[in-house]
Amino acid sequence: MAELGRAALVLSLGLSVYALVAGAVAAHRNLRRLSTSARNALFCSFASTLVAAAVLASALVRHDFSFAYVAEHTDRNLSTPYALSAFWGGQEGSLLLWLLVLTGFGSLAVFLNRRLLRDLTAWVVPVLGGIGTFFAFMLVAVSSPFGTQTAPLDGAGLVASLQNPYMVAHPPMLYLGYVGLSIPFAFAAGALLSGNTDERWIVATRRWTLVAWTFLGFGQLLGAHWAYVEVGWGGYYAWDPVENAALMPWLAATAFLHSVMIQERKGMLKVWNMVLVALAFELSILGTFLTRSGVVNSIHSFAKSPIGGWFLAFLVISSLFSVALILWRLPLLKAKTKLESALSREATFLYNNLLLVALCLTILWGVLFPIVTQLVKGEQRTIGRPYYDFFLRAFGLPLLFLMGIGPLIAWRKTSLRALARTLFWPIVVTIACGVALVFVGAGSSTPGIIAYSFSAFVLATIVLEFVRGTRATGSLFVLIGRNRRRYGGYIVHAAIVLLAIGIAGSSAYGANVEQRLTRGQSVTVDGYTLTNRGIIQRTTIRAKETRVLLDVRGPWKGQIQTGSNQFFNPPEPAQEVAIKTNWLRAEDLYVIADEVHPATGIVYVQILVKPLVNLIWIAGIVFLLGSGVALWPDAREQRRLVTRLAPARA
Amino acid sequence: MTAAAIVLGALLAVGVVVLVALPFLREPVVSDDRLDAPSEAEERRLELVEERDRTLAALKELEFDHRTGKIGDDDYRELLPPLRQAAARALRALEPDQEIAVTRRAGVEEVQPKH
Amino acid sequence: MSTRSPARLIIALAVAGVLAVFLVYTAVAGGSTPTLTPSQVAAKTSGKLAVVGIVVGPLAGDSHGTSGLRFQLKDPTGSKPGLVRVVYHGTAPPPLFRVGRSVVVSGTYAGSHLQGTNILTKCPSKYTTATTKA
Repeated sequence: MAELGRAALVLSLGLSVYALVAGAVAAHRNLRRLSTSARNALFCSFASTLVAAAVLASALVRHDFSFAYVAEHTDRNLSTPYALSAFWGGQEGSLLLWLLVLTGFGSLAVFLNRRLLRDLTAWVVPVLGGIGTFFAFMLVAVSSPFGTQTAPLDGAGLVASLQNPYMVAHPPMLYLGYVGLSIPFAFAAGALLSGNTDERWIVATRRWTLVAWTFLGFGQLLGAHWAYVEVGWGGYYAWDPVENAALMPWLAATAFLHSVMIQERKGMLKVWNMVLVALAFELSILGTFLTRSGVVNSIHSFAKSPIGGWFLAFLVISSLFSVALILWRLPLLKAKTKLESALSREATFLYNNLLLVALCLTILWGVLFPIVTQLVKGEQRTIGRPYYDFFLRAFGLPLLFLMGIGPLIAWRKTSLRALARTLFWPIVVTIACGVALVFVGAGSSTPGIIAYSFSAFVLATIVLEFVRGTRATGSLFVLIGRNRRRYGGYIVHAAIVLLAIGIAGSSAYGANVEQRLTRGQSVTVDGYTLTNRGIIQRTTIRAKETRVLLDVRGPWKGQIQTGSNQFFNPPEPAQEVAIKTNWLRAEDLYVIADEVHPATGIVYVQILVKPLVNLIWIAGIVFLLGSGVALWPDAREQRRLVTRLAPARA
Repeated sequence: MTAAAIVLGALLAVGVVVLVALPFLREPVVSDDRLDAPSEAEERRLELVEERDRTLAALKELEFDHRTGKIGDDDYRELLPPLRQAAARALRALEPDQEIAVTRRAGVEEVQPKH
Repeated sequence: MSTRSPARLIIALAVAGVLAVFLVYTAVAGGSTPTLTPSQVAAKTSGKLAVVGIVVGPLAGDSHGTSGLRFQLKDPTGSKPGLVRVVYHGTAPPPLFRVGRSVVVSGTYAGSHLQGTNILTKCPSKYTTATTKA
C-alpha cells in the first residue's frame, strides 16, 4: 500500500511540473489546447494527492505499523478520530496536507474562474503548479510519509495533551488558512503576468481571501484556548515564534482585506495590494518554515529538520519572483484616482493598513532577531515579552480607535461637521464608560482603561450603525441582507472588540499569587478563600493522577481539584489545572498545583483570577458569525456577474 | 503490494494521462489554437459594464450614507451630480442607441431608458 | 483642500511616526537577552542571560528552599564541552523538567554559576506541544 502512496506522490510531482512548464509555455505563446491540458494536469494533481492522502489515512485508521509514520504517531489503543488526527501530527503528514489543500483549493479556484478570466487563469495554473512542485518534491525526495519498516507490535502513541478535540481541529484550520492565502497570491501573480492588473483578480479571489483569513484567525483562537485549558500556565498566548508564525500572515491578510476595498472603489493602491498579498503568502511559507525547521527556539519544540534549508530556498526564490514581477509591471499599476481628503474612509483604511503592517513587521523583527544576531554577532539574543506587549499596545490601541472612526466616515470625504454630529453619542458613551470604570477600580492600569474606553467607543459606533441602517431600510434583516459585506464586517469588528476587552481584562487586571499551603491552611485572593483539604492519588487506565483538594469560599463556593497526571503511554506528565468560571463576576478562578508532596500534605499553588477572559472565546463565535454574513452569497451580485459574461447584443 | 492497490494505481495513471492529453485528443487538428482571450470589443464591453456597476454601486452607497446621516446635505449635493453623470456616461456608452436618463424614484437610483 | 493628494504626506508622516515609536522603545527599554549554549557561556563574565541546554543530574535541593534547586546544563549538541552550574529559585519547575530534557533557563550569570529565575521546558523531538512555563 505504501508503494501506491509513493507512486501517487511521484505522479503529483510530475503533474505539478507539467502544470508549471506547459502552463507557462501555453500562457506565453497563447496556446489554447496546451493551456487546457496544463489546467487538467492541475486537477489531476489533486486527484493523485487525494489518493496518497487516502493511503495514509487508511494506514492510520488500520493501525498499520509497517508505515513508519503510523508507528511514530499512533498506538493500538488510539481511537479513530485521534488516529486520523495524527495525519497532521508529524512533519511528513502535514506537508501532505499542505499539498492536498493546495491542489484542492487551486483546482476549485481555477475551475470556477475558467470562463471569467481566461487569459489570467492561464497564468494562475503555472504559478500554482510551481508551488505544488515544491511541496510535491519535498514529499517525494526529502520528507516522505510512506517510509516502511517491519511492523512493531505497537506504536509510540500520541501524547496525551494532543488527544483532545482542540488539537484535532487546530492544525487543519491553520493549514486551510495558510494554504488558502496561496490562491489570492496565485491570482495576483497571474494578473501581473497576463497584464490584467485591474480589479478583476481581486473580485475573483475576494471570498477565498476571506475564507482563508477566517480559518487562520479561528484556528489561532482554538490554539489559544487549548493552551489555556490544557497546557496550564495561566495564559493563552506566549509570543512564541510558532504562535507568531500564524499571527503575522493573519495581520497582513487583514490589511489586504481592507485595502482591496479601496482598489475596488477608487482604483488606487494597486502596488500596495500586490505587495500585501505577496507578503501574506511569503509569511505563511515563513510560518511553515519556522514551525517545522527548528531554527528558532520555541516551546513548540519540533526537532531541527533538513526541510529547513529547502523551505528557506523556496522562500527566497518566491520572494525574488514576486518582487521582480511587481517591478516589471509597475507601469501597469498606476493609480486611477488620488486620495481626496485626509478625512475620508479611504484615508482611515490607509492608516489602519499602516498600523497593521507595522505591527506585523514588529513581530517579524522579534521572531527573526535571534537568527539575525546569531549571524551578525555569533551569539543568539532573544527578545522578551515586554517588547511584544509594548508594540501590541502602541499599534493595537490606535487600531481599535480607528475601527470606531472608520465606519462613521464616508467615502471620498467627510466634513468635520458631519463627523462631529455622528461622533457625538459614541464619544459621550465613551467618556461615561471611562469615568464609570475609574470608579469601579479599573484605573489601576492605564492601557487597560484606554482599551476598555476605546472598546466602548467602537461598540457604540457599531450599534449606532445598525440602528441608523435599520431606520433607513425599515428592517434589520433587509439591511443586513442588502449589505452583507458591510454589516458582516461590523460584526467581525464587534468580535475584535470583545477580543480586546477580554485580553485587556485578563492581562491588565486580576490577580496572580503563589502560595505554600500546609494541610488545612487557607489563602485569600481577590475575594476567594482557598483551603488545602489534602492530596489524593488515583490510577486509571491512562494515567496516575495526583490531585490537591481545595475548598473555595467567596464569590464561588465549592471544591476544586488541581494537580497533574503521569500518563503511561507515552510516559509523559501533564499539568491538570482547575478552572472555575464565575459568570456573574465575569472572571475565571484558575489554580495550578506547582508542587505536591503527598507525604507531608504540603502543596505549592499558583492562584490566578482572570477577569473577562471568556470574552476571548465568545469573540471567536462572533467572529465566525460575522465572517459568515460577509461570505453569504448574494443572488443579485451573482446575477450581475453572470450578465457581465453574456455576449454583447447586436 | 495488493492487487487492489496495483489496479487503483494503474487506473489513476491511465486516467491522468487521458485527462492531460484530452484537449489534443479532442481536437487533433485545429485552425485556431489561440487562447480564448476576450476580443478587443468584448474587453471594451466588459470594462464598460464594470464601470457602470461601479458607478451605480457608488451612487447607492452615497444615497445610503446620506440617509443614515454620514454625509451632510451640502456634501451630498456636491458629490451627487458628478457621480450621476459618470453613471449616465457609462450607461450611454453601453447602449448607444437609446437615450438614458438617470432619475430618482423613491430614494433609490433607477435607470430608465427613455426612447 | 490643496490640489496635490495628501496621501504621500500622510504615508510619510505615519511611517516616520511608527519608526519613531520603534526607535524610542528600543533606546529606552533595549532588553534583548543573550541566549547561549553552555559552551558559549564560559566566555561571558556576568549579566542577564538565558542558557539552552540539556539537564545533567544529580538534582539537589528545592526551588523554594534557601539554597535553591541545583543542577547542571550541558551543550544540546553534546559535542562541545562546557557545563553550566545552575541555582534555581522560584516556582517549581514544570512537570516535564527532568534529567536529560532540553530546557531554557533564564536568569543572571554570576561568574561561577547561573542564578536561574525561569525554566522553560521543551518536549522531546516529536510533534508534541505539551510544555508549560514555570
